[in-house]
Order: sequence, then structure tokens, then C-alpha cells
Amino acid sequence: MKKLDISKLDVLALMRYDACTRCGECTATCPTGGEAQDIELITPRGKILKLRELYKRQYGLKARIFGPAEISDDELRELTGRAYECTICGQCKAVCPASLDTIEMWENMREFLVSNGLAPLPAHEQIVKSIENYDNPWMQPRSQRSRWSKRIEKEVKLKDALKEKPDVLFFVGCTASYDPNIRDMATDTVRVLANANLEFGTLGNEESCCGSTLMRTGLVDSAKKMVLKNLELFEKAEPSTIVTSCAGCYKTIRQDYPKVGKVGPRVLHITQLVNELLDEKKLVLRNKVDYRVTYHDPCHLGRHNKLYDEPRRIIESIPGLKFVEMDRIREDSRCCGAGGGVKTAFPDLAEKISSMRVDDAEQTGAEALVTSCPFCYQSLKASIEAKGSKLKMMDLMELVRMSSSGTV
Amino acid sequence: MARGRYLKDRLYLYLPFFVGLLLLSLVILLLPYDTVYVKDRTYLSVFLVTIVLCVSVFFIGLLFDVMVWMEGKGLVGTPERRLLRTIARSIRFLFSRRLVRIVSVLYHDAIHLPRLKERSVTRWFMHFLILGGFVLTFLLDIVVTISLDLFKYQPMIDETGWAKIWIRDFAFDLTGLMILIGLCYYAVRRFIIKPKMLRTELPDAASILFLLTVVLGGFILEAVGIAGGIPGHAVNQEYSFFGYTLSLAMPSSWGAHYDQVWLIHGVISALFIAYIPFSKLFHMFATPIAIEAEQLLPSGVRAA
Repeated sequence: MKKLDISKLDVLALMRYDACTRCGECTATCPTGGEAQDIELITPRGKILKLRELYKRQYGLKARIFGPAEISDDELRELTGRAYECTICGQCKAVCPASLDTIEMWENMREFLVSNGLAPLPAHEQIVKSIENYDNPWMQPRSQRSRWSKRIEKEVKLKDALKEKPDVLFFVGCTASYDPNIRDMATDTVRVLANANLEFGTLGNEESCCGSTLMRTGLVDSAKKMVLKNLELFEKAEPSTIVTSCAGCYKTIRQDYPKVGKVGPRVLHITQLVNELLDEKKLVLRNKVDYRVTYHDPCHLGRHNKLYDEPRRIIESIPGLKFVEMDRIREDSRCCGAGGGVKTAFPDLAEKISSMRVDDAEQTGAEALVTSCPFCYQSLKASIEAKGSKLKMMDLMELVRMSSSGTV
Repeated sequence: MARGRYLKDRLYLYLPFFVGLLLLSLVILLLPYDTVYVKDRTYLSVFLVTIVLCVSVFFIGLLFDVMVWMEGKGLVGTPERRLLRTIARSIRFLFSRRLVRIVSVLYHDAIHLPRLKERSVTRWFMHFLILGGFVLTFLLDIVVTISLDLFKYQPMIDETGWAKIWIRDFAFDLTGLMILIGLCYYAVRRFIIKPKMLRTELPDAASILFLLTVVLGGFILEAVGIAGGIPGHAVNQEYSFFGYTLSLAMPSSWGAHYDQVWLIHGVISALFIAYIPFSKLFHMFATPIAIEAEQLLPSGVRAA
């Protein structure tokens, strides 16, 4: 008989499974379970009740008196598949009347599934192997990590953070480093930092994956190795600030790294740093940018880190820009569908969700959809192209670069 | 871990638990119950045995629900030892400077429920009626039991005493009515309106119907007592405003069955108590505890 090992389920998570009131508030707004598919088992309530039912069969009072009951492989397989059909967007956390931290619950649930040999899903295994072997999920050699910077090496002097120890360390992230369609996010960020005359550098080819993908898919032990590797590099580079342009890296370094080791420098997302630079007048947004734009809140920045005002303040500071909000914004923002490994394992589902978000953006009449996360950018851009939408997908730093350019 | 050590760890927890349970049972059984309105003491005895059994099931269920939590990651040692340490830590918290913060977290997140208020003021208010009514009824029960059976407080015993009129008659009717209104709203919403977000399965239906039976049963019992002129219900009945209104529709002959109705209500209430740890109603303990634990546990424990 298959015996579930619940020793990897967090004490708090186990409390939260019992604390769920089954009210269903989370089911209506869940992008994968509720809105896109209407499948109860994918909704937060469905997952909570199913997992609780399974482990109570083996650990509840009845199990202690009469012995643990059988759990069929089919039930476990179904729960595992459904548990991964979740973008971990945190919409459920935002609406839960019982204030359950569902983000921690889903990540912990996946860790539990991995520890019981039920996960990761086959679709994630290749990515996991790539990260473990190449330090990135893109199956690319380490030597290619800093290739993105070739485009701007004549314009901007990019310091080697390990040798020159600049004050600000720009943690580029795997997506912006390796995906040719996203590399502009990295180059635009660098140009913005240069426009502010900041002393900054990168870890070059030494930078490792932040570990976000591993953590979100439940491979906590593998992720910890990545974390330790990067923490060692941070210690060697001795920056006072680490800045990321990737919302996923930001969440991971800021929230998950301190659980593994000490993070000395302060950790900022680029939108926070740009706000500081604007306040200190080190960065001036002088050029007019004639666009009508709307902004998509990345889940990792918004619901996970409450960074709602920082990007909006930047948008509103750019001369000429007309800003229109979508109906669902901030805590209520719809997910782009890419997170939590959904895009890799369930691409059709991811496309369906991102398509809904593009619809939201189109309804505003905006010319451009702006975001501040490479995953959201990738996902929404693909959907814009698939739908034949006239929207232009833009990274917020592209707008800042356009408005601040002049010195570089 | 050595087996001997494990057994020792277990004994540390279970011995005080069962001794505590035994003491509680003895207190329940040995209280004088001089003022219970039931005439036939056999009914009282049957009820007392039932309530002792049900309270025991309640605490054992509660213990093993919590023991499942203790199987999880973030604490060290056997589940029993983890629980003992957690209880010790909780007691330290209660007597620490953080008490104000504990109370404020409890009030803000577990009782006030701002998120629910944001989503629907009506649902929030109805939940507040049930929760508030439940807590107040429980507190009133303790006050009445202590003042009646331990201190023999005359104003609580005399038919015309202020405490009898305002606490035993009026306040209980008021808190019962609070619960009843809230429950009726939720029953209508779940069984008649049926919004898409609600999924009604046996545990959902059972919890709401069980609680409804207990509260309505209490009012029916009171109405039967008033209609039949049973001692304790014979004068100043209008203070029991809801029971009194119900009694107007009852013939006085029903008073002859007061003892049986009393026992049925008592047994259903006792069974309801036993059912709580095994039902969705367990959330009334788990939710505040989970909220408090999240706010108060050191991050090292939460993240380990």
C-alpha cells in the first residue's frame, strides 16, 4: 500500500488545509481552475479538500484506530496533475476570507508531491535537468549567458561584479540572458542604469539560475543548491544593492533566499530602483513618448510583493505617455498564465489565460501593453501575435530608456 | 529514535490529556444541577452520560486533528513532543508582552474578517451573527453554570431575579436568534440560491443542518416549557421573547413532553459537540490558529 509521507508538508500548511472554510470564494477568480476550465479539482478549494481527504485517510483519527486506508495511484496521479495546473498567481490568496497564504501552500504542496515521488511532471523534467546541468532552464551552455551584453558593450561599460565590485549588482536572470526575444529587457535595463550614471555590474557567465523554476515546481533541495551558489557569488561581489528586472528572480531572491542563507545587500526590483533614481533626480525622463499604454501587474511583483505603485509611478512620470488601466488591476489583476510551470506543461491552458489578459488590454483601447516581467512579456507577446492583435508588447524599461536616452 | 524514548514522549502528552479529560468528566457528572427544569432525573442521567462521552470524543478528535499538524515540516521531535512544545510556546505567548498583538491579530483577521467584508457585507454580517452568537452563547453558558451550580447565586435562580430574566431568558434568546438568522441566511444561500461558487456536499449540508437543529431545538424546548408552564418558564416569559412567541402557537398539553424534548435537545447538542472536530466546523478553531501561527511563529520555524 502506498503510504503518503506528509513530513514535507509544512505545519502551517497542514493547519491551513483544516482552516479552509470551503466558501468557494477562490474558485470564481482562479485563472486555471475557475475561469479557463471550470474544473473543481484545479481550484484552490478542490486541491485543498482532495489532499486533505487523502492524507486524513492515512493520518486521521480513523486511520489511527483502524489503520491507514488505501490511496489509489489514479487518485494520486490526478491530484498531482491538477496541482501543477496552477500558475501560483496568488489570486486565491487575495480573496481568501480566511487569509490563507495559498501561495506558500501550493509551493509546499508541490514539494510534498516531489518528496513522495509523484512529481515533477515529465514536461518539467527536461527543464530541471537543464538547470541542474547548465545552471539555466534553456539548455544553453554557461558560456553563452552573457552573450546578450555583446550588443551594448560599445555603448555601456558593464563591470565584472566579481572583480570590480561595483555598488549595484544587476542580476540579469535566465530568460533575459538566453531568450533572443527577451534580451532587449536586459539591454534596456542596462541602458537605463547607465543613463543614471550608476556604478553597476553583472556576474557575467558566473551567474546561476535564481532557482525560481525549481522552487515553483517543488524541487526545493535542488533549488537550495542554486541559492547557495548565488549567495556565495553575492558575498564575493559585495554589492550594496542587487537589482533584477525579472519579477521571478526578484521574488525568489527577496523572499526565498533568506530562508536558505543570509542576503547581505538590499534586493530591489528595477521598478523600485528607477523610482529611487527619479526621486534623487539621477534619472530624468525628459523625452516625450507618444503611446497610449496599459499596464499588466506581474503576479510575482504585485500579489506576491505588493509592488503596484512603483511601476505606475514610472509610467505616469514619462512625458507624453497616456496611461489607461484595465478593469482588473493590482490585487485583482488577471494572471498571464505562464507562471508555476504551466506554460511548459500545459501550453494550451497558458495560451487560453494569456489570451483573456490580452482581451482585457484590448478593451482599454491602448496601443501598447506594458509589463515588468520577462515571463509575462513572453506569454502575452505570444498571445498578441496568435490573436493578430494590434497591441504592441513592451517592457517598462523600454519606455524608460526611450524617455531617458540622450546620454547613452 | 529509540522506541523507549518515543513511548516516553507519548506518555508525557497522553497522560495529562486523559487525566484532564477524566477531571472534566467528573466535574460534568458531579455538578448538582439543582435548577435543571427536567422532572425525571433519569433523563438528566442519560444526558450526562451522553455529554461526557461526546465531550471526550470532541477532545480526542481535536487532539488527533492537531496531531496531524504536528506530523508536518518545521518542527523537530516526535509529533507528541512537538505538540507539547507548541503548547508550551503558546502559553508563553499568552503571558508575554505580545498578548496585545495576539489579541489584535485574532480580532482583526479571525473575527473581524476584513476580506469577507470586502467581498460581501451581507455575508460578513451573517457570519458575524453566527460567530458572535456562538461565542456569546458559550460565554453565557459558563457564567450561568458557575453562578448557578457553584455559587448558587439567587438572582440567577429566582424566577423574578434580574440575572434569571436578563441572562437566562433574554440574553440566551438574543444570542440564539443571532445564530438562527445567520444560519437561515446561509441555508437559503446554499440550498435555494445556490451561487456557482458553492459546492454542497454531505459535510456542508450536515454542518449547517446540525447547527440549525440545535438552535431551533433550543427555542422549541423553551416554547414547550412556556406553553406547559414548566417551573423556570412560568413567569416573565416575555423576556424569552423568541421562545415566548413560538409558545403562542403551542398547546399547553405539550408541556407533558417537556422532559423528552429536553433530552432530545440535549443529546443532539452533545452529538453536535462531538461532531465538530470531524466536520468543516473545525475551521472555527483551525482558522484563527492558522492566522495566529502565521503572524506569530518565528520565520525560522515557518521556513524550515
